[in-house]
Amino acid sequence: MSSIGTGYDLSVQTFSPAGRVFQIEYAQKAVDNSSTVIALRGKDGVVFAAENTIASKLHEAKTTRRVATIDRHIGLAYCGFVTDGRSVANEARSYATRFRDLYGHPMPVSKLNDELSGYFHMLTLYGAARPCGCSVLLGAYDAAKGPQMYMIEPSGVSWGYYGCALGKNKQPAHAEIEKLKLSEMTCKELVKEAARIIYATHDESKDKDFELELAWVCADSNGQFEHVPEELHKEAESFAQTSMEEDSDEEDDSDEDED
Amino acid sequence: MFRNQYDNDVVTWSPQGRIYQIEYAMEAVKQGSATVGVKNKTHAVLVAVKRKPSELSSHRRKVFDIDTHVCMSISGLTSDARSLARFLRSECTSSKWAFDEPLPVGRLVSALGEKLQRCTQFWSRRPFGVGLLLAGYDASGPHIYEVQPSANYFDCKSMAIGARSQSARTYLERQMTAIADSDRAGLIRHALLALRECLPSEAELTSENVTVAIVGKDEPCNILRDEAVQPYLDTLENDMDTDA
Repeated sequence: MSSIGTGYDLSVQTFSPAGRVFQIEYAQKAVDNSSTVIALRGKDGVVFAAENTIASKLHEAKTTRRVATIDRHIGLAYCGFVTDGRSVANEARSYATRFRDLYGHPMPVSKLNDELSGYFHMLTLYGAARPCGCSVLLGAYDAAKGPQMYMIEPSGVSWGYYGCALGKNKQPAHAEIEKLKLSEMTCKELVKEAARIIYATHDESKDKDFELELAWVCADSNGQFEHVPEELHKEAESFAQTSMEEDSDEEDDSDEDED
Repeated sequence: MFRNQYDNDVVTWSPQGRIYQIEYAMEAVKQGSATVGVKNKTHAVLVAVKRKPSELSSHRRKVFDIDTHVCMSISGLTSDARSLARFLRSECTSSKWAFDEPLPVGRLVSALGEKLQRCTQFWSRRPFGVGLLLAGYDASGPHIYEVQPSANYFDCKSMAIGARSQSARTYLERQMTAIADSDRAGLIRHALLALRECLPSEAELTSENVTVAIVGKDEPCNILRDEAVQPYLDTLENDMDTDA
């Protein structure tokens, strides 16, 4: 990388001669090295899926989570430094609570996105802080506005999305997401697709073992953000596993044809 | 100069997307002597080996009581641990005052995580140089949590941290089901056996250098030192005889 050793990449307060702030780009690297998180926006809600790596056999199952509840109607998934993600989630919760206290109704997710983007941006301005080592996905559903989804980058830039993938395997995951007709699909269907994408992009030879985390906020969950019900989670997981097996069978078949 | 430019402070990202100061703080945990935490269905147990800085001094403290339902053992900088113990005690006390029931251990740990995270992102203090094992018992049963200087924390079945703790973790992984099904005495024995794996070759576990802490159903945080530990150490000796 041309930035290394020039001295322009040591502080967030220094521009390079080409007008870049390298410290922000390095923070983005932390996100790109992390395991995959995806979110899909269907016609009746938003689905989150995360590939949570198991760091040790001694850890209790399903206790490392990367999708958090911000308010009843808002979910947040983080990718990158888990610790930074947790602190951002706490920050977001305080915004949502303050909004409720002040205005007496739930915070619109577009407003939360504005405020949280501002927080990310603030961390890129001063020498006393570092940019967040995580990107976050925000999702919400209400009957009037329908599903909404945003992604915030470490730089503080944010966009609205129909489907988004973050982390190590974001390229193949993006390709898979683009094949889906998101705006015509219900969350029940999307949960299965999300599980399939996480399983399909996971590289068994390279990546560590993982636990699948699935969460949603949609009409079926009465507009509340929650982890998907146990039954549906199992169904989605077995759907993902069988479609993996089918894929590998097809590959075997094509090999035989070549002979 | 081949010196690493990116490891001076906690607010500098390396080009690979790492924060070296956090990783260095994690190394401090490995400098401390080992400590092991295990749990079964009713109890959580912490054991630790204490070191003494010189022949003339006493052993350095490794286990701290936090509340009647939580205790913690440490590996790393003892002074940092003491200030964290103070924080944990005040969290427990204020929660008890506000809600009139003991603070769930998971909540306590996430509050601690939030505190630790701040000094990994802002240029005000260095990260804490200490790893913690928290043992607690609450409405959802016994818990062992591992807390790292990086502010990351894990809900564990059992865990060992500190110098040469890898061999203890191997023991714990192997005995995972046996530990989960053991009774109170068996649990302490497993913890001590795991701890023994971490000792350097010439050292051994004695009633002076071992601390045992137990917390569980109908048993408020109970820290055993000196002679009180001896009966449990004796169970290891007996076993050696039967094995041979």
